[in-house]
Amino acid sequence: MPENDNSELICVGVIAGAFGVRGEVRLKSFCAQPEDIETYSPLTTENGNQSFTVTINRPINTGFAAILSGVKTKEDADALRGTRLFAPRDRLPSLPDDEFYHADLIGLTVIDTGGETLGKVIMVQNHGAGDLLEIKPENGGETVLLPFTLANVPTVDLGAGRIVADPPEGLFQGKP
Amino acid sequence: MSRSVWKGPFVDAYVLKKAEAAREGSRHEVIKIWSRRSTILPQFVGLTFGVYNGKKHVPVNVTEDMIGQKFGEYSPTRTYYGHAADKKAKRK
Repeated sequence: MPENDNSELICVGVIAGAFGVRGEVRLKSFCAQPEDIETYSPLTTENGNQSFTVTINRPINTGFAAILSGVKTKEDADALRGTRLFAPRDRLPSLPDDEFYHADLIGLTVIDTGGETLGKVIMVQNHGAGDLLEIKPENGGETVLLPFTLANVPTVDLGAGRIVADPPEGLFQGKP
Repeated sequence: MSRSVWKGPFVDAYVLKKAEAAREGSRHEVIKIWSRRSTILPQFVGLTFGVYNGKKHVPVNVTEDMIGQKFGEYSPTRTYYGHAADKKAKRK
């Protein structure tokens, strides 16, 4: 699912409520390495109205017990329950060639080698056999899973917002 | 209890047949299979199978480290849509 309409912000976690009675929050991280959420701080809310510096105290059952700047009491923490936390895209470290953030791939237009539009990337999945791009075909219908390999996806152009795909035969309905 | 060694790995016959046909032809295609119970054999390495998960065929690029596993292990029947956050995908 696309993370947010504002492509500059990436959802990295959510406040699940208060933890204890001393103003700590229960923080759920969506990062690949959960504790990395601290390195992306300060984090903002979806509309950017509030900003928090995150300090992780310890891991707990469903995430982390953390202290957020400006949150002093349990009541403050409870009021933030369900608040999603966002980090600016440019705060994520740069990656080597042929490695991409899911957030960058989601939303890209997929075209075939002939220049015809196949659809849009809506999700990146990995079930243990390599990364798969889930593509919603332009003409509607069921989504298609395309292996994210050099053979199938020779070009990823993030600047132009498109992927050039050479899908295996019969993967896209109606395509040879 | 594990399977007796003398029986050899189980593979549905049609999977072997389709894989053999795909190896002979040089076409770049996904081999659609429904047999999630079949064992991945060394001769499948390099091929791409579309393993049915009850709804669609999930592409599985077979690599050496998958040998001995079942196809079904790479085609989950339930999908969890998590958050992208800082997760990375590598193009191989």
